[in-house]
Amino acid sequence: MKSFLVSLLLYSWTLLACADPAIQVENAWVREAPPGAQMMAAYMTLKNTGSSDVTLENITSPAFRMVMLHKSVIVDGVARMSHQDSLPIPAGTSVALEPGSFHLMMPAPEQRLHSGDQVEFNLRFADGRTVQVQATVRKKP
Amino acid sequence: MKLHIIPMLLLAVLLSACSPPQPPQLQQGTLLPDAKVIADFQLTDQNGKPFTRKNLAGKWSFAFFGYTHCPDVCPTSLSMLAQVMKKLEPDKTPGAKPRVVFFSVDPERDTPEVLAQYLPYFNPDFVGVTGDPQQILQLTRQLGILYGKSPGESTDDYLVDHSASIILFDPDGNFRALFGTPHDPDRIAQDFVSIRNYYEASR
Repeated sequence: MKSFLVSLLLYSWTLLACADPAIQVENAWVREAPPGAQMMAAYMTLKNTGSSDVTLENITSPAFRMVMLHKSVIVDGVARMSHQDSLPIPAGTSVALEPGSFHLMMPAPEQRLHSGDQVEFNLRFADGRTVQVQATVRKKP
Repeated sequence: MKLHIIPMLLLAVLLSACSPPQPPQLQQGTLLPDAKVIADFQLTDQNGKPFTRKNLAGKWSFAFFGYTHCPDVCPTSLSMLAQVMKKLEPDKTPGAKPRVVFFSVDPERDTPEVLAQYLPYFNPDFVGVTGDPQQILQLTRQLGILYGKSPGESTDDYLVDHSASIILFDPDGNFRALFGTPHDPDRIAQDFVSIRNYYEASR
């Protein structure tokens, strides 16, 4: 029961090893890619509970050769993805990386990831702080 | 006196029977006042077989225009369409079941083989169509679907901006309705039934 609770906490919070509790990452997940897909996306909610603004500048992951911060926007009915150099998270706010909006885009690894797999991301912020995030691969609409 | 009323009543009954059915009130879709006939096109399906205007006829078709290198909007839309299909599954009316056709706006990278690998993940019945870029352009222009390459991280990693709308073709293969974003599977399924009933009643 105890281990179940622990894994449940880990699963739903995905909150790990914050250098500073002011930055919290919740609900990190990677969309399971269909066979043959060359690109994948990851999503999470970034919460800044601190009193100073933070800016996400760089993301890396041992599972992917490249991680890009993108935003999908629909302008006049046309869907576009635009590259984001950084993502500001003002003090006391949260920013959701979610389908149809901000997301991480990664080239799919040769070994296909499956629902339930765990993937690590390292987020680096402008002030030098790093946050390690465990994301779960999920099949989700 | 009474004798004069009877033909009048008859006329009224006849007139009401002839009055055309009213277009349905849709929740998300936009019904075209008149279905638009599409010029023929020569494309290829995921099995390498020709896919032309003729293949579009015979069934209702939801068409989505995207590309497999798209990690966010396209999988979301295709999953949404899979949900629409699931919601319409219990309806056993003959000819009622629509299908989903995914048209690639990135034919250089989306070969029939790639589509054959990619699409069954969402639904084994999804049809994938690709082919000559000029033919795709000619088709999409008639539907008001826009797309264009935008630079990515490297020359072969380009992105494609594309209309996110879903097009509904009727069983005559004509452009009948359009669903803009954001897409909601419940509303689209309900709108589809309204459009289909209206189409059947208008025939």
